[in-house]
Amino acid sequence: MTAASRNHYSPPWGDASIIGVAGSSGSGKTTLALAIVASLNLPWVVIMSMDSFYKPLTLMESRAAFRNEFDFDSPDAIDFDLLVDKLSDIKQGRVAEVPVYSFEKHNRLEQTTTIYSPHVLILEGIFALHDQRVLDMLDLKIFAEADADLCLSRRLVRDVKERGRDIEGCIKQWFGFVKPNFYKYVAPQREIADIIIPRGIENKVAISMISGQIGKTLSHKSVKHRLELSRLGKIAEDSPLSPNALILEQTNQVKGIHTLLMDPNTSREDYLFYFDRMAGMLIEKAVDFLPLEPAQVITPQGNVYMGLRKTAEVSAVVILRGGSAFETGLRRSIPDCRTGRILIQTNYRTGEPELHYRALPNNIAEHGLVLLLDPQMSSGGAALMAARVLTDHGVPEDRIIFVTYLAGRVGVNRVLSVFPDVRVVVARMGDDMEDRWVETKYLGC
Amino acid sequence: MSSESETQAPSQSVGPEYRPATQKPTATVSTALDHENVHILAQTPQLIALLTMIRDKDTGRADFIFYSNRIIRLLVEEGLNHLPVVEHTITTPVGRNYSGVKFEGKICGVSIMRAGESMEQGLRDCCRSVRIGKILIQRDEETSKPKLYYDKLPEDIAERWVLLLDPMLATGGSALMAVDVLKSRGVPEDHILFLNLIASPEGAKNFAKRFPKVRVVTAFVDMGLDAKNYIVPGLGDFGDRFYTM
Repeated sequence: MTAASRNHYSPPWGDASIIGVAGSSGSGKTTLALAIVASLNLPWVVIMSMDSFYKPLTLMESRAAFRNEFDFDSPDAIDFDLLVDKLSDIKQGRVAEVPVYSFEKHNRLEQTTTIYSPHVLILEGIFALHDQRVLDMLDLKIFAEADADLCLSRRLVRDVKERGRDIEGCIKQWFGFVKPNFYKYVAPQREIADIIIPRGIENKVAISMISGQIGKTLSHKSVKHRLELSRLGKIAEDSPLSPNALILEQTNQVKGIHTLLMDPNTSREDYLFYFDRMAGMLIEKAVDFLPLEPAQVITPQGNVYMGLRKTAEVSAVVILRGGSAFETGLRRSIPDCRTGRILIQTNYRTGEPELHYRALPNNIAEHGLVLLLDPQMSSGGAALMAARVLTDHGVPEDRIIFVTYLAGRVGVNRVLSVFPDVRVVVARMGDDMEDRWVETKYLGC
Repeated sequence: MSSESETQAPSQSVGPEYRPATQKPTATVSTALDHENVHILAQTPQLIALLTMIRDKDTGRADFIFYSNRIIRLLVEEGLNHLPVVEHTITTPVGRNYSGVKFEGKICGVSIMRAGESMEQGLRDCCRSVRIGKILIQRDEETSKPKLYYDKLPEDIAERWVLLLDPMLATGGSALMAVDVLKSRGVPEDHILFLNLIASPEGAKNFAKRFPKVRVVTAFVDMGLDAKNYIVPGLGDFGDRFYTM
């Protein structure tokens, strides 16, 4: 397939909505953001705090900071370049590694937090509405307002309890930096906010208004995603099965096992046994794509043999829950196979696939081959999403092999029209949009 | 019978048709044979890589056992494809008809001790409760001919398809004798499948000549035999590497 015929797929996180929440220190931005997230209770609405983007301090600055003489409340303390970078990654649906800032050490820690695939991101920080480049990416601008006395008392409690400061130092900081900076930099953000929320968390009306607004954004994204999937389905319907879909040779054994697997009278014990056997055949077929290099070995009798040796590792990513049915077969051939897991659930109301969870090997982008395992592909929606998750994590398309027991032509074509270099290894072609029964029978529920 | 092979081992780019030639690494592949009853597994890159592992003298026992088992499973899967099936149509869970097949005929395994016993696990991985008979054949010190020491076979073996197991086929002395034993118990020649990892062209030829109806399924045919009748390049003594080394 040429680059021209490659279709674009935009996952629901492909164009993330970003909401900025600014306000004075202690005005309850974090609490507000948490309340909004809690009221929605969806894994794809996440909070990112601007505290993560404090610049690492030099030795001199750090000493000043420990004397409470460093100005953390000026925009200069924030690494806006890095923030803009990460925001634009998130906006475009890429993986963003967000720094972790330690208030005890006044420095960034080694580890990072990964933010990936939010449909809505809430950015909270005193200067969330400060930088024009950030403002350009925001879909909603909120300013949280609170009485100054309340702000000071909240800040004292937080800094002493959670950030290990002493009370004199905090008061010194408040009057030295926080208060003057508030008037200079923070308060002017009020003017460009779309919504100003007084009284923070107690303001139930405001919280439910904003949650409602985000809910609308989410359902709009869901509709767009479903339209996207059906658009790709139309393209797939009109084309013959892609040559990158490889069907297992239908030998007598393969056909015999199909017969047993599809026969409703087959006992569960037999079903498991024969499915594992079939999974083994599929895995052996899939690993044949692993790039190998010539290797010379010496046999115990001293003879030379010119063979092949692998140069990179094969790993697998199981699409939960069905993909776990492949694991017994997988471990027969590759007992120590690194295995990532992705939970994609189809929303029973809308039929839209939703990404709930992901845990991938760290160096997955360097593996020689990544087997994406799911026993059944019908619409191809989940498969498309899973392939997109892998490419977002840097796995080259031509190293992805989607391994499945049963697939429909439209589903396969839908995935391969977006990712023409991905390969699909399948044991049998079934109906388009066939109900999922393979894993239900394997797992027994 | 022994012949130091002067001919060059066949070497070619290995990989599936759809893969461009530049992405196919070159390796030594199985010698091609034109005996109708000899079936050589498809020379995929993965199979060559597995064989490379078990031929390497530096491969430890655990890996040797593991990679042998992987090849043996491929052999068994291929061997089982030669068994008869009958048409069998069923209704699928989504209410469609599928014109499938049902396995027909009883089978059993017979391993030639001791190396052949190493293939039993692979057979059981594909056929859970298969009956397994055993035959012990050793070379007679005086005559240097193979001699039958022991056999224990299923009573009804004459009514079964027999998967005869021995990983290495050099001259074929013991395997041919094992087929004689099976025939003497009433197993028809064309109901015997000989599963084998590495064969020599001489061994395969002897089989084709003596028992043209016995199907030989092998992963690889090597270049030939050396003066001591060891397969070249081979992989050493399979039984030793699997059981005791």
